[in-house]
Amino acid sequence: MQTTPTQSAPCTDAQLVDYAASLDCVHCGLCLRTCPTYELTGRESASPRGRIHMMRSVAEGELKPDAAFIDELDLCLLCRHCESACPSGVNFAAMLEHTRARLLDSSERSWLVRRALGLGLGRVLPSPRWIAFLAGALRFLQRLGLVQLASRLPGKVGQAAAACPPVPPARERRALPRHTPALGQRRGSVSVLEGCIMPPLLGRVNRATVAVLAAAGREVHCPRGASCCGSLHAHNGDLQGARELARRLIDKHSGLLGDDGELLPIVTNSAGCSSHMKHYGALLADDADWAERAAVFGKQVFDFSEYLVRFAFDDLRPALGPLEVAQPICWDDPCHLCHGQGIRDEPRALLDALSIERVELKESESCCGSAGLYSVLRPLDSRAILAPRLAALKATGARTLVSANPGCQLQWSGGLRQTGSEVEVLHIAELLERALAHGRESGE
Amino acid sequence: MAHLRAIVGEEGLLEDSSRAAPYECDGLAHERCRPEVVLLPRSTLEVSKCLALLHSHSIPVVPRGAGTGLTGGATPVEGGVLLGTARMRRVIEVNAKDRFARVEAGLVNIDLTRACCDEGLFYAPDPSSQAACSLGGNVANNSGGPHCFKHGNTTRHVIGLVIVMANGEVLDLSAPEVDPVGYDLVGLFVGSEGMFGIATEVTVRLTPTPEAIETLLGVFASLDDACDSVSAIIAGGWDASALEILDKLTIAAVEASVFAAGYPKDAEAVLLVEVEGSAVECHENAEGILAILADHGVLEVRRAQSERERQKLWAARKGAYGAMGRIAPDLYVSDVVVPRTKLREMVRATTDICTARGLKILNVFHAGDGNLHPNISYDRRDSDELRRVIEAGDEMARVCVEAGGTLSGEHGIGLEKLAQMKLYFSDEDLELMHTVRRAWDPSQNMNPGKLLPIRACMETRTRPVPVEASGRAGS
Repeated sequence: MQTTPTQSAPCTDAQLVDYAASLDCVHCGLCLRTCPTYELTGRESASPRGRIHMMRSVAEGELKPDAAFIDELDLCLLCRHCESACPSGVNFAAMLEHTRARLLDSSERSWLVRRALGLGLGRVLPSPRWIAFLAGALRFLQRLGLVQLASRLPGKVGQAAAACPPVPPARERRALPRHTPALGQRRGSVSVLEGCIMPPLLGRVNRATVAVLAAAGREVHCPRGASCCGSLHAHNGDLQGARELARRLIDKHSGLLGDDGELLPIVTNSAGCSSHMKHYGALLADDADWAERAAVFGKQVFDFSEYLVRFAFDDLRPALGPLEVAQPICWDDPCHLCHGQGIRDEPRALLDALSIERVELKESESCCGSAGLYSVLRPLDSRAILAPRLAALKATGARTLVSANPGCQLQWSGGLRQTGSEVEVLHIAELLERALAHGRESGE
Repeated sequence: MAHLRAIVGEEGLLEDSSRAAPYECDGLAHERCRPEVVLLPRSTLEVSKCLALLHSHSIPVVPRGAGTGLTGGATPVEGGVLLGTARMRRVIEVNAKDRFARVEAGLVNIDLTRACCDEGLFYAPDPSSQAACSLGGNVANNSGGPHCFKHGNTTRHVIGLVIVMANGEVLDLSAPEVDPVGYDLVGLFVGSEGMFGIATEVTVRLTPTPEAIETLLGVFASLDDACDSVSAIIAGGWDASALEILDKLTIAAVEASVFAAGYPKDAEAVLLVEVEGSAVECHENAEGILAILADHGVLEVRRAQSERERQKLWAARKGAYGAMGRIAPDLYVSDVVVPRTKLREMVRATTDICTARGLKILNVFHAGDGNLHPNISYDRRDSDELRRVIEAGDEMARVCVEAGGTLSGEHGIGLEKLAQMKLYFSDEDLELMHTVRRAWDPSQNMNPGKLLPIRACMETRTRPVPVEASGRAGS
């Protein structure tokens, strides 16, 4: 008799977890050493293998999904490092997202947490207005010194306040223009994703992204009305919200066609977003009206460095010149770039094209603890996960850290600020933009 | 419970069923028992205090390293406590000059090599699970690995231990600079599967990184040819450091995984050979082996062109077991040793045993050591299939022992091969082992029910030997 992993589960809570996926794991344990929360705690239940074991036990009715179960799942950063180590190809992130979705309204969670999460995901993140308003308010509080004051409080509140990124002045928070012409000869068009928290907190990264693309001869479109990709929703179990936002994003980009009539490449400077958007096809697979469009859309999504190296490296190279940056620099692999998309060589190729001294960060593929909303929801765990990374960075002697994800950038900046380090954290687009500025001046 | 918590701290004691659930089995997934309490101490002192307290209440203790064992050695026992070393992962000392390292037992095998590779040294035993398994677990099972063909199993590398005895006493046998005087207790402890006490610190010999390494991959049209060439390489006196065979199904599983290394998917079997030493030795050995491969109908030979390619080939070999999760939900990894001259016959025999029972078998093994790993992909939810798997496991062990082999090459006995111990040892042998065990642990609460089949009469026949009488060589 041959049983297949897809047969229905002999359990009461069969629908709770993605049961079939849990069956791919044979307990080999190769994932353990990659897991930041296992490294931190030494607890099997805080490891990928342990979490899969718990999920399968729940599905088989041998374990109640109690508060401890939910807490161990919530402790997961969804960094996907375990997937890079798994010989069996367990799709851990999808399984966890599915389980979190089923647990979203579990009465084992506190009412306050459920409400706050619901409000944050449902109202705030998808709305640029809400975000702009909150950013303005936060800046006001920071100007008054209240946030700095709160950072001295003990516990979670203090940690959250201390980690709170400084909001830049209003002129740096302006939205991207809807259309930016190519610099020099036009060699193609792309559209970019503006992102949810990028405009208020890292608007300069967005502008650098557009500047670099334009310098590579790309005409850049930035459609309005679709800023949030929904990845944070999916990671935190709000799959319905994630699907809604995916449909909205696909819709807003649908009018942007290239000279060949195909959908324009969508270039994203946030690894978390590009990793999620590439999987829109799977996210909307059960939606007959959208499944095909979503799959086509997903294939057109490219991370910033991936796009440049694959399609525009030769166009960009002549525009690059010497740049001023504190050296050596080092590259931090964002989890959703290396583990989520398998992109490791492209950013290094871009950096090495700048002829600056680069050192490798030890365990550069380990999570920094940002993990989207994680740093806000679990500030203490988030900091504890960052601590060994800060030590690893210090050991390299690097004076500039380059990354490609807003969460990582804010997390590292916050950690370095707190430890009094002077290492500068830059997005790879910012670094390239600096090389452009020089290139232009010397060319003039 | 409050006392235990006071010893190991809030984070070191797990008692809720969710957090205890993942500890209910090791790599032998069909043997499960949820522990009532899991202890994760942080130091020898904490282990000692825990064991003293548990000893005074006669509570059984099951030690656990990383839970990568394949024989149920770390399966909890009813009413017992599970004690894990996962929070004891420090490298205490790397002495490059005297070529040894002292580490905590929970340290992951590969992290030891990472800690000393800059000094031109490495830790030789390299189980396939080396990226996950702990040194303490390696000590408990006298673990092997591909390169143990040349360098020897764990016991040849452990030169000192700190052991916490069942009653909480600390036995310090870590004095690496002195040749052991009197009985070699360290040697006796290695391979004792957690039944003598818990090793909390391990001192190991480090091996100089060889000047040159050559990795060859021979592609064969049949498993028989690959097996015969291994026998011929050994008979010819060529000095390989590893001789590994992967069969077609294994290659298919690995090549579908993140560890894909370009193994030829159409080959019936491949032989992965490594030679090491000085550049000259390396070259001579490689040439000699190439000639033998050619004599045995090798279709094609590839040589790793770079360190990166070599690493990829090995990562794929070591990820093979996990990759088999692609085939069916569960995996039974058998571990038997056969005389190398009978490699071909025994591989056939084990394959026949599985196919006759309608089981899917994948072969990937340490051919050089004659250490077979017939892997059976199955689904434990199918109780009949599970029954056939266990039956096949028993039968394979029986056939191998009859052919002059042994029960285990490196995984240990644990729960899996408990019944088969009688195939290999007489009642007198087993009784002697019981006596040795009682010398170390008169309470017999350390990892009870593993390794030694229990016979009721045996329990009373011999008077327990007091621990004090067992000697204190190093303390």
